[in-house]
Amino acid sequence: MMNNQLDCVERQIRRLCLLFAMMAMMFSGHVVAAVELSGEVASSEKFAGAVDFLSDESYEKPTSDVQVSDPIEPFNRAMFTVNDKFYIWMLEPVSTGYSKIVPGDIRACIGNFFYNLGEPVRSVNCLLQGRFRDAGKTLGRFFINSICGVFGLADPAGDEFEIPPIYASFGETLSVWGVGDGFYLVVPLLGPSTLRDFSGTVVDGVASATYTPWNDDTLTTATAQGAKTVNRTSLHLGEYVEIKSMSFDSYVAFRNGYYQMRSKQYDHSTSSK
Amino acid sequence: MQRNTSFFSVFQASLVFLLLVLGSHVAVAASPDPTEQIRPFLAKVTATLAEPGLKSKSRQEQSDRMISVIRERFDFREMSKRVLGQQWRNLSDKEQAEFEDLFTQLLQYVYVDKIDDYSGQQIQYTLQRVKGDRAEVQTLLVDKNKSIPIFYIMILRNDQWMIYDVVVEGVSLVRNYMEQFNEILRKNGYSGLIKQLKDKIAELEKNLNKS
Repeated sequence: MMNNQLDCVERQIRRLCLLFAMMAMMFSGHVVAAVELSGEVASSEKFAGAVDFLSDESYEKPTSDVQVSDPIEPFNRAMFTVNDKFYIWMLEPVSTGYSKIVPGDIRACIGNFFYNLGEPVRSVNCLLQGRFRDAGKTLGRFFINSICGVFGLADPAGDEFEIPPIYASFGETLSVWGVGDGFYLVVPLLGPSTLRDFSGTVVDGVASATYTPWNDDTLTTATAQGAKTVNRTSLHLGEYVEIKSMSFDSYVAFRNGYYQMRSKQYDHSTSSK
Repeated sequence: MQRNTSFFSVFQASLVFLLLVLGSHVAVAASPDPTEQIRPFLAKVTATLAEPGLKSKSRQEQSDRMISVIRERFDFREMSKRVLGQQWRNLSDKEQAEFEDLFTQLLQYVYVDKIDDYSGQQIQYTLQRVKGDRAEVQTLLVDKNKSIPIFYIMILRNDQWMIYDVVVEGVSLVRNYMEQFNEILRKNGYSGLIKQLKDKIAELEKNLNKS
């Protein structure tokens, strides 16, 4: 009994500390935002790999920014096949069944909930990248959605306050710091990545594990991750198979798609204006 | 007198400036607005997808119907040219026409596939950018639980903005096929590419008839 109470108190303290840390971060964000306003830091500069579809160059030399070395292609292709089978045999059937039981609105809410839990990590990454305004916005989204959006089930920050979701990851932070991609890597169960981005994903995962409530044992963590994945897949059913059926070499199609999508995510020139 | 001339020259200068500003506005107005042109087209595409009789028609009729609508504002030649990049110039006129025909056939399946899926999703027009004779119209396809950003890249041809690339969530269709085709061309040459295109179209047709 005594032990239980102690545990409870300890948890409360941990939560309080976290809250303070976040508030401190938010205020520091504001201060730096003010500095940025007066000094115009070059953070709004266009991301180097950004694609301007209106310039012909992006079509004439399509591979210059997308081509990344793929020295372990045989391994990657094997992993691609593994993931493909996993998707077709496991993930898709399970997600289809799930989508028939749980209505779309609720699945969208669950998706929002998981996304909202990632906001503090995104905010820290924005800070680390020198995107101070984005850091403040992301943290603002977290507070608004956690409080007004019932633990992040809804997205009032996006719908009412017009602060759209902002992309940030540790992979991106590393790229801002000048770390190269390394090479293309297809991660089992996770899909297309690069050595750098996968390292970033691991760091982001560990960081969010410090404050998400389901990391007491491996089984619970795996269940939470599984639920998140199934829920996300249920909102995108059919897309994977359709892209695959329209492509000639689906390995190349998804590799190229990954790089193109990422260069859009890393490009904040439109969102910062 | 001196003051008068200076006043006069300032007046003249401002008049010239005004004319320039007005003139540039007229010039801008002369080239049609891309969003205004694409809006009725996409409305027609969605209306066709939602046509009550279309779902019960044969697959051949469905794709014929879709392609006739889509041809209106898609420049398949420009698309073919871009998807092959520098290789395009090495092809004879006949080969270019053959490739264009096959690539067009392939792309119609992107839309034919949507006939069964379409359930009244709305299109929002978020932004447009114009640079010379190129334009980008950014749209948002709003579904019940998600919205997908789709950008249309267009070129001006005789007062008509024609689509030559579709960018879905940052992934350009042309650039994606370009990388795949480049590899096929490198390994199997032009004849290999034509063969793979024909095989793919046959496969897609078979799958459609099955479903």
